[in-house]
Amino acid sequence: MSYIIEIEDLQKHYDNSGERFHALRDIDMKVRRGECVILKGISGSGKTTLLGIMAGLDHPSSGKVVVDGEAIAKLPDRHLSRFRGKHIGMIFQHYNLIENFSVRENVMVPLVPMNLDFEEVERRVRESMEVANISHKASMSAGRLSGGEKQRTAIARALASDPEIILCDEPTANLDRANSERFVEILSKLHDMGKSIVIATHDPIFDHLPFEARVVHMEDGRVVEEGRES
Amino acid sequence: MNPILLDTQVQIYLLSEAILYLLMIPAFLISLKIIPKWDFGSFSQEQYALEREAYLVMTILIFAFVMKFLLLPYFVFAIDNLNTLVPGAMCAAGVISANSYGMPLLFVKLFLVFALILWMAVNHYDLEAKNYPWFKIKMWIFIAIFIVASVELWLDFSYFLDIDPTRPVSCCSALFGQLEGANPLPFGLDIEKLLILFYLSWSLIVFAHYTGQTLAKLLATLLFVYISYYAVVYFFGTYVYELPTHKCPFCMMQKEYHYAGYLIWATLFGGSFGTMAASICKIFLKVDTGKMESLSFAMLNLFTLTVSLYPLVYRLQNGVWL
Repeated sequence: MSYIIEIEDLQKHYDNSGERFHALRDIDMKVRRGECVILKGISGSGKTTLLGIMAGLDHPSSGKVVVDGEAIAKLPDRHLSRFRGKHIGMIFQHYNLIENFSVRENVMVPLVPMNLDFEEVERRVRESMEVANISHKASMSAGRLSGGEKQRTAIARALASDPEIILCDEPTANLDRANSERFVEILSKLHDMGKSIVIATHDPIFDHLPFEARVVHMEDGRVVEEGRES
Repeated sequence: MNPILLDTQVQIYLLSEAILYLLMIPAFLISLKIIPKWDFGSFSQEQYALEREAYLVMTILIFAFVMKFLLLPYFVFAIDNLNTLVPGAMCAAGVISANSYGMPLLFVKLFLVFALILWMAVNHYDLEAKNYPWFKIKMWIFIAIFIVASVELWLDFSYFLDIDPTRPVSCCSALFGQLEGANPLPFGLDIEKLLILFYLSWSLIVFAHYTGQTLAKLLATLLFVYISYYAVVYFFGTYVYELPTHKCPFCMMQKEYHYAGYLIWATLFGGSFGTMAASICKIFLKVDTGKMESLSFAMLNLFTLTVSLYPLVYRLQNGVWL
């Protein structure tokens, strides 16, 4: 069995004025290639922290985190940035778009350090926008988009570098029901494309996905239950 | 109070050196803690904490070292400007010889520049790899640098505090002139043989560079930097000053010579130390030092071209050699 993410004995704590807050404790988790994992739990259960560590945006206090064969928490900055750019697409709760840039320019941003030729950049941007269903807004500035459109731009941006792993942090938290359902449709497309997906959410819309997904319940920084839903 | 210490440039220089040293103290103490415990293969809490501290140390050191590079020309600039306060001095040459601390301080500074370039190179190749393979080596180099920097700071303060503005010093023509017929050149060379050796050692560097002979290049560069110092002071410098009796390594850094000395010495020492550091990394770390070698080689060529142009241009303009 080929795992794209392997986590062993992961701990994460924060020290503040002599007090220690444990954000993650004793996490052991594996994600298979092409698998979709839903991290569920209430606010403060550690989902976002875990996702951040998987993305290499945060470092563990101890434990092993291997993503696509690389112990990412150990990589020097320049390697980590390169690795993240190539292997991981991240969709944030608040989208993190550059408001003054157009949709097309936002999608293009992660491709800039990759030194691709212009035709390749154009092709990737066009294809990503098509998958995310945002091509019709390509030249509109991100600041003028609706919440759902911003979310789809963020999806297109995450897909532009053609990563194997897509990490989503509360992707539907700011969306209405209709836009959340559209997000799930796009997610289904990404799953069909063979992407490995990890979603941190507490939205019940992910309880009934149109494809197979594994649900991991978290509480107080621990994995308390695992199940399979589809 | 010693009027030397009231000079603004001296104050800025000493304060900057002291601040950089204070910055290096925590880096030194953390390094001493990190070295014995470092185990990159471990995923323990202690190792992650050490990696975060190492990141802090690297950040401090890169800042401190870049600032120290910039402080060397500023030091020369500052002591050059002191020639108005020290009787007899016409340039930095007289000021640097105002007491017994000056020349050792200059040599310590040059050694530190080499050590900093070497550390920067090892750090670069260490970060290029994914598992910090030369982390301990660069930490040991830093510890050596810190010890030398401690000596440097002591010499800095000792030197400036000990300059007596009432005691006359010798000017550069007395310090570097051929007094009483004594030959100041090494190995009993005369100017012709010195120049032959200069261009021969440069040719050897070019040959070793293009044939990839690292050890030969290292040795040729050591010879080149030594010979170049004398060649600049006793031959090329006279064309910078357009005066056959003016032999000084410092005056050429003054405004009336368009600060040419900064370019000449920076390309010589930058190119030589860069070549030496690259060669050491290539021999001992077995890394591809291509970019660093090319940059250093370009600096050495720029140096050779710059100093060679002075007599050629003089000859073309005046029809005679000095």
